[in-house]
Amino acid sequence: MLEIRNIHKTFGGNQVLKGVNIKVEKGDVVVILGPSGSGKTTLLRCINFLERADEGSLDFDEIHTELKNASRRTVNKIRKKTAFVFQNYNLFQNKTALQNVMEGLTVARKVPREEAEVIAKEALDKVGLADRYGYYPSQLSGGQQQRVGIARAVAVRPEVILFDEPTSALDPELIGEVLCVMKELAREGVTMVVVTHEMSFAHDVANRVVFMEGGVVVEEGTPRQIFQSPREERTSQFLHRINRDYDYSI
Amino acid sequence: MELNTKFMGETLVKVLAGIPVTLEITVFTLLIAGPLAFLSAVARAENRKVAGRLIAGYVSFIRGTPVILQILFLYSLLPSLLNHLIRNVLQLDYNIFDWNPVVYAYVVFIVNNLAVLTEVFRSALQTVNQGQLEAGLAVGMTKRQTYLRIIIPQAMVAAMPNLCNSTIGLLKSTSLAYMMGVKEITSIARTAAAYGYDYIEAYLDVFFVYLVLCTVVQLIFKGIEKRISVYKQRLAG
Amino acid sequence: MRPFHPLFILEIIPELVTYLPVTLGMVLGTVLFGGMWGFFLALAKVRRRPVTKALAEIYTYVTRCVPSVVMLFVVFYGLPELLLSVGINMNGVDNGFFVIVTFSILYAANISEVFRSAYLAIDKGQREAAVSVGLTEAQAFLRIVLPQSIVVAIPNFTNSLINLMKEGALAYTIGLIDIVGQGNRIIGRYQGSYTLEVYLALAALYWIMTIMIQKFFGAVEKKLSRGKKELTTAA
Repeated sequence: MLEIRNIHKTFGGNQVLKGVNIKVEKGDVVVILGPSGSGKTTLLRCINFLERADEGSLDFDEIHTELKNASRRTVNKIRKKTAFVFQNYNLFQNKTALQNVMEGLTVARKVPREEAEVIAKEALDKVGLADRYGYYPSQLSGGQQQRVGIARAVAVRPEVILFDEPTSALDPELIGEVLCVMKELAREGVTMVVVTHEMSFAHDVANRVVFMEGGVVVEEGTPRQIFQSPREERTSQFLHRINRDYDYSI
Repeated sequence: MELNTKFMGETLVKVLAGIPVTLEITVFTLLIAGPLAFLSAVARAENRKVAGRLIAGYVSFIRGTPVILQILFLYSLLPSLLNHLIRNVLQLDYNIFDWNPVVYAYVVFIVNNLAVLTEVFRSALQTVNQGQLEAGLAVGMTKRQTYLRIIIPQAMVAAMPNLCNSTIGLLKSTSLAYMMGVKEITSIARTAAAYGYDYIEAYLDVFFVYLVLCTVVQLIFKGIEKRISVYKQRLAG
Repeated sequence: MRPFHPLFILEIIPELVTYLPVTLGMVLGTVLFGGMWGFFLALAKVRRRPVTKALAEIYTYVTRCVPSVVMLFVVFYGLPELLLSVGINMNGVDNGFFVIVTFSILYAANISEVFRSAYLAIDKGQREAAVSVGLTEAQAFLRIVLPQSIVVAIPNFTNSLINLMKEGALAYTIGLIDIVGQGNRIIGRYQGSYTLEVYLALAALYWIMTIMIQKFFGAVEKKLSRGKKELTTAA
């Protein structure tokens, strides 16, 4: 369904992506792991054209485009097939929870107001915020804001939702509620690409895990394969480090 | 020291008649310079090349020189320049010097406030998080839609305190329009005072009128700010 | 229309520059006296004494509502009469005196707000931490709070200084011969032939001074804010 080939991206002399390929099929839950600075977030942002890649191509259903010089129309088309959940939520500060979810429907997709409202309410109900329609972002906790962010992504019925470290700005006690919502989506068969440091989510929910380091994909496979018998030395080192941190934190 | 209170009372009534002119200049300037300044602020934020540089230079020059010089310069230049254009270039028999000098006041204050307000809006746009634009694009809105629906409404709220200050600054600087022969508050007071040399009384009247006008302007802005910033209020408790 | 002589602008700048000390002296005098007065106003505003606080707030509010030119005339015409009624004769006093009094009255209000917000911008924990390691209140203020406040205050201080300098151009309206006053004398000398050139020369001088003030205080701020920089990770 979605395939990215040979993507390169440099920020001011610093090469962040050095030829990454990634393929996502319908119903996939792909989790991208890797140390900070490995290019995971940049990869996700390039897919949604929040950053322009320097090189590489993208296939999305029938659309084929070079990433570097995709036309404005193509970019818009792809953005309408995708949705993005941000690390720091990026809820529209001047809109209520309900308006946040409706915005992408009424403005970008010209869904009639009443219909949009029904869809938006459904989405908010699904993330457990049925009692928070009229609240502004500043009146919500971090976990609630991120759930609105997810509802905003779900409501537009995208073919794939891109999650950029959705829980890393949250206090530990609020992470659970967000992961719960994400698990529920995965169970419903929503296609997701998730950049995260939550190993348990990768282990329990993903059907494919991609390990990145230094701007390249080091290895990919099923969670079982990656966590239990990684082929690459760098992968096992990373998993060791993470597991050690877990031990300390207990 | 004794104040001529009778004269003060009489002059106050006369001075009040100048309020509409003062307000006219202020409001008209804001209506013209405001939207233009907003566009130039967006242009400056989005264009770092020629247009952005030109706007930055204009803003720096106007904000770096006294209003009084801008008044003196434009008021020496414009009438004779227009007269020259009409008589010699367009060959029309038309007397530009019949115009109400308030026209020049409009020009001066628009030129000045275009720069002041560009700066106000520029810093307001900067306060809006870059993530808001990204989120707008990510849900499929165009850049223009995101600006209109998400960024500008937030920037307007951020701009309110500075907008209020610059409006008060504008209101105060219209008192210099007397130099162009505009019959506004200060100019009426000066004329009245010149007769009996009761300058203090006349200027105290002007002082008082400005105090009231500024208070009204601030109340209006407080009201607007409260209305448009609902989304910022946190829940109690 | 008279022809425009751009070279005349350059010709008269040296003559105008000889009057810069008057313009700058007015600014410095105001910063000195208005600054002191403003400091006391700010003190009154942050202390919890309701009467002085209210008086300081009212003073600030009222002075900020009045156009400089109106205040200038009120002082110029009013102060001599006021002082005469207590037996002081102001005849023969330099006009610069009235200018500095006027702008000190106005500047004090502006600068008191700069001081106040700079003081409030510093986290209470800074003072508490200083006291907790054994510094006295005075030491905590002078060594910890004040240096941080100064850095915070620099941008607003710079703006207030530039505004003061620009408003100071009004001083010629009561007959002070600063650069604008001298400019008007030059215009008179040539029967108005070089009006535009003179005003442009003055504008250029003010613009240059504004930019110099901005650059200078920008550099000072950069130098003083070493402790404030966030850690930058190697890219």
